This record gives sequence, C-alpha cells and structure tokens, in this order.
Amino acid sequence: MKIALINGSPKTSGSASGCILQNLRSLLDEEGSVIGEYHLKRPGVSAEEVAALGQSDALVFAFPLYVDGIPSHLLHSLVQLEQSLVKEKQETMVYALANCGFYEGHQNRWALAMMESWCSKAGLMWGQGIGIGAGGMLPAIQSVPLGYGPKKNFGKALQQLAANIANCSADENLFVTANFPKLVYKLAAEAGWVRSAKANGLRWRDLSLRR
Amino acid sequence: MRMIIHDLEQSDFQRLFSRPLNHTMVISPDATIRHCLGCFGCWIKTPGACVIRDGFGNMGEHLSKCSEVLVISQCCYGGFSPFVKNIFDRSISYVHPNFRNRNGEMHHKRRYKNTANLRVFFYGETITEGEETIARGLVAANALNLGWHAAEVSFSYDIAELEGRVG
Repeated sequence: MKIALINGSPKTSGSASGCILQNLRSLLDEEGSVIGEYHLKRPGVSAEEVAALGQSDALVFAFPLYVDGIPSHLLHSLVQLEQSLVKEKQETMVYALANCGFYEGHQNRWALAMMESWCSKAGLMWGQGIGIGAGGMLPAIQSVPLGYGPKKNFGKALQQLAANIANCSADENLFVTANFPKLVYKLAAEAGWVRSAKANGLRWRDLSLRR
Repeated sequence: MRMIIHDLEQSDFQRLFSRPLNHTMVISPDATIRHCLGCFGCWIKTPGACVIRDGFGNMGEHLSKCSEVLVISQCCYGGFSPFVKNIFDRSISYVHPNFRNRNGEMHHKRRYKNTANLRVFFYGETITEGEETIARGLVAANALNLGWHAAEVSFSYDIAELEGRVG
C-alpha cells in the first residue's frame, strides 16, 4: 500500500503540521506500508508530485488552519490536483489533519468539510478528518511521547486514524485538543508573543500597535 | 469606507460596477500577490503590517477603515477562491495575536474597533447544497473571528446573475 503524507504548511521547517505527520508516520511504519513524504509549501504542484500522488492509495494531508479555512497556497494546489486526479478515476482514500492555534479542535470543522468537498470533486474517497486544537503547542512538546501527558487525546486520535489508513476505511471526523488547561494554554501563548516581540527589539505594548 | 474584494475578470467587474465607486477600495486579482508564509511577522516584527511588501502588506490597516466588506468569489469546495483566500490570509494583522473568549470559543483579541458588515457573493456552476452549508458556516466563523457582522451570503450560478445585486 502506498501512502502519501502531504505537509501543507508554508513553513520550511518547525511546523506543527510536520510534527503531526512525524507522529503519524511512527504509527504507520508499524503497518509496513510504503510511505512517501511531500511538502506543498508553495502554490502549485510539480508534474512529478502530481504523478506520485496519483499513484498513491491514500493521501494524508496535514495543514494549519488559516482564517477558518485551507491556506491559500494549498488551496491553489488542490485546485490543480483536482483537475489532474479527476481524470485518473482511482479509488484513492483521502485523510486530513487540520490544526489551529485556538484551543478548540472543532474550529477546524469548515476546513475539513472543504477537504471532503475537494475529494468529491476530484473523484476521490473521503476517509476521515482530524481537527486539532492548541496546535501551536505541538512543536514545543515534540519530545513528549504520543499518547501521554498533553498528547494523550491527540495520540488516541492518531492511532485511530492510522488504523483507518492501514485498512483503507472511512470513519467520523474527530476533534481533539491538548490535555492541558485552556487558561494555561492562553497565558503561555500570550507570553510567547511577548518573548518573540522582545527578541525583535519591540516592547510588549508594541503588539497592540495600530496603523 | 467600503472594500470590495473580488476575483473577477476586469470586464466582468466593470459590468457589475458600471457607475463610479465613491469611498470604495477595490482589491482585484490584477496584481501579483505572494502567499502568507506563516511567519507571524505581522504580529511580532512589524505589528499591524505584513512583512511581505508586495502591495498587499497593509490589508489589516485598510480593513480597519471599513464599515462594509463586499466579497465576490468563485466558490471553491465551499470556501473562497485561492486569490480571495490569499487576501484574507494576508490580512491577519487586522487582529491582535492575543486571545479572547467569544461564544465560549477562543478567538483573537481585536486590534481595531471598527465593525464591518460582511457581504459575500459566491458564484459557480457546480455549487452543491453541502458547499452552500459550508460557505455559510465559514462566513459566520470569519465574522466571529474578525468581530464583524455576517450581513449577507448568497450563491449564483454565474456572474451575470449578480448584476444589480452587488451595488
């Protein structure tokens, strides 16, 4: 079975989407599948990427939530892929993991619904979507084992997804967040913005600048 | 001020807006736009402005002066077209990076005080009922995140149907 793991983050490195796929890959490797990794960080897909994705049995997208939806560069690539994949009429399964900086995983629901709609237009089969809240934490807790501490629920969802991918089966979308108090997450995130601003030579109140 | 964000050919736009537009900023797909890099520079390096200076770097500031934002977009999978979505992605300097609870959910704190009526006109020959549901949910979520009012969401088979409705 050929599985394509597709990172839809525009970031070259250090993205939450990359962490998610790395965690998922550790579960899929146990199943003995052939796994290809792709990074759609710019608008457009190369002919080689289109050919490789068209030959996959399962496409697994991981991407950040941008303004309640799919990032525009990935959307651009999906439009291109739709036009290519719809001609091939293969029984490819599609899975998607959307992560957002907000605490609630369900805020990814419209982006996942759009991915399902893309599947339908491209003639592919929708497998399952996972909406992940507090996604900004994932790179910072990369060393925490999957299924433990703040990654407990995230780990359970990934295990279910990995089993569905291995069986080429479909399932209900899942929405998870960190096993971590919402207020503490908020305070930690906001302290992080202040630290980043100071590292750039700004004062904390500069974060509120109006132009 | 009113802002019109659209992905139409110039001839189609002129057909829909044949009269002079006063106090209106028009964002058209006739210039090259780069995509958001997810760097958060618009929050932590140059707060309120995107670090990509390609002519679309001050979207947040422009939106802060709007009382109405009118969007005309092809419906792609229940959302906006890539160009229109890019405009929204490049506009996050409009909000503050910190969080506030609204409707029991985490959303961004507001940077500006203005409130805009968001009117969205989707067009496309293959829009399904499911996509209409997604689009309505998306626009409501956008309005909640931006602190705006989702005033109108409509769907048309083709652009000609919009004549007389979007003025």
